[in-house]
Amino acid sequence: MFVQSAGDDLISISVANPREAQDFALRLRESQAYLEVVAGLDSVVVQFDIASQDRNEMEKRIAEVIAQPGNLRTSSQPVVEIPVCYGGEEGPDLESVCEQLEMTQEEFIALHSGREYQVDLAGFTPGFAYIGGLDKQLNVSRRQEPRVCVPAGSVGIAGGMTGLYALQGPGGWPLIGRTSFILFDAAADDPFVLVPGSKVVFVPVAAM
Amino acid sequence: MTIQVLNPGLQTTIQATPRIGMRHLGVPASGAADPLSMALANRLVGNDLLAPALEVLLAGMSFRAEVMMQIAITGATASCTVNGEIAQLYATLRLAPGDEVHVGPAEKGVRSYVAFAGGLQADEVFGSQSTYLPAGFAGFEGRALQKGDHLDLAEADHTVEMLQTPAKFQPPMTDSWTIRVGRASETDLLQEADQLFAARFTIGNRSDRMGLRLEGEKFDIRSDGRMPSAPVFPGTIQCPEDGELFVLAVDAGTTGGYPRVAKVARLDLHVLGQLRPGNQLMLIERRDADAKSELREKHNYWGAWLPGPERII
Repeated sequence: MFVQSAGDDLISISVANPREAQDFALRLRESQAYLEVVAGLDSVVVQFDIASQDRNEMEKRIAEVIAQPGNLRTSSQPVVEIPVCYGGEEGPDLESVCEQLEMTQEEFIALHSGREYQVDLAGFTPGFAYIGGLDKQLNVSRRQEPRVCVPAGSVGIAGGMTGLYALQGPGGWPLIGRTSFILFDAAADDPFVLVPGSKVVFVPVAAM
Repeated sequence: MTIQVLNPGLQTTIQATPRIGMRHLGVPASGAADPLSMALANRLVGNDLLAPALEVLLAGMSFRAEVMMQIAITGATASCTVNGEIAQLYATLRLAPGDEVHVGPAEKGVRSYVAFAGGLQADEVFGSQSTYLPAGFAGFEGRALQKGDHLDLAEADHTVEMLQTPAKFQPPMTDSWTIRVGRASETDLLQEADQLFAARFTIGNRSDRMGLRLEGEKFDIRSDGRMPSAPVFPGTIQCPEDGELFVLAVDAGTTGGYPRVAKVARLDLHVLGQLRPGNQLMLIERRDADAKSELREKHNYWGAWLPGPERII
C-alpha cells in the first residue's frame, strides 16, 4: 500500500480493490483517531486535525494498521430488487451510450439487468451506491461536462460501475434509466438502504 | 412564535456545526459556508460560536421580531435596516416586539449571517442542526425558509452585553481574492501544474453550497474519464475532461471521479463561503508544513476575539 499526502489535512492510502478499501477503512475508523475515514474504490483517505495532530504520527499509526492482517468478510445479505425504467426521458443518455457501445437498447438492457451485483461503495451523497461488476462490454466514461441537475432515482453507468443517484443534484455519469426505489430516508430507523456488500439486481419496468 | 419571516430572499437556511465523521456514509459536512462570519455573529450575542444562525444568500431577507431579542449581522457587506433605520453590521442590536429587520442584498461577499441571542431552535439530524438541502434534512424542516415561516429561539429572554466587533476582527470583503492551496492526489495529471498558480479565475454563476466553478482558464488533463471514484472534501479542486476546474464546498458529495488537482488549505476554507460569481480568484501554493504553521498563526490571531478558534477555522 502506498501512503501519501492529499492535502494539508489529508492522507491517502492506495489499496487494491473496493473490498480492501472497505476493510481497511473500517479498521482505521475503529481507532477513532481521525476526523473522517472515507473509502473510495481503490483508496482510503483520512482527514485529521492538523491543529492538534502531527502528520508523521498519523502516518505511523496508519502503517501499523496496514501491517495487521486484513479481515475480508463475505456478506450473506438478501438480494435487493431495484426496478429500473430504462431509456427515454428516464435515461436520456441510453441512446448515445448504445451508439458508443454499438449495441441495441434491448441488448444493453438484457446485459445490464441480467446479473447479480454487489455494492462496492456508499458515498457521494447519502444513499448513492456504487455497484461494481458491470459486464465488460458496458464500460463507458463519465460525461465530459457534468450535469447541473440529475433527478433523484437516476441510474448511471461509468468506469465499469452502475451508480444510483439517491438525491437530485449534480452528476457526471451518463444516465441510462431511473428507479422509483427509495435509496435514502433520513427519518427511517435505518436511513441507508444499500451499504457496501449489499446484493442487488436490476429489474426492467415499463414505467416509473 | 418569536420570529416571522417576511421575505426569505433567494436562499436563507439555518446553519450550525458541521457534521463530522459521517462522510463514509455519503453524508457531507454542511454547516456555515463561511463559519468565521457565523462565529463572529454568534460572538456578539453571547452564543456558542456555532449555535444555529441564519445564513442569507446574496439577495438579503427580512423578518419581524415578535418578542424582545438581541441579534447581530455579519458577513457580506450589505445595507441593513431595523424599521427602515440603518442598522450597524458587526454590533449587537436590540429589537423590540414588532421590529422589522431587513438584511440588504450583498454588495461585496455573498453570504450574511444573522445570529440571535439564545440561538435558533432547529431540527437535529446525524448530530448536527445544519440544514442539508439536497436531502432535505435538519435546520428548519430540512429546507430554505419561506415567507410566513415562524422560527423560535432555543433559549428565550437571553439578555447579553451590547458589543461591537473590533475593526481588526471584521473580515474584509472584496471582489478579488487569493486562497492558499496544496497539491492533491492527481495534480500530476495536469499537463502544467504550475498553471494553477499563474491563472486568474473568475467565479462562475453556477456556484452554490455544493461547489464553485472556476472559469476563465482551461487545463489540459491526462484523464480518460474512467478514474475510480475517490474521496473528496470541502476544498477539493477537481478537473473534469473539459478542463474547467471546480472547487467543492460544504455541501459537496463525499466521493467523486474527476481528478483531484488541488486542495484548499484548511485555514482558507471559510473564504469559499464569500466568493461571489464574477469575483476574481488566484490560488497560491502552500506546502503542507507551511499551511499548518500559518493555520497556527491564524488561530493565535483570532483567538484574541473568538474563544476556541480551532473549532471555526
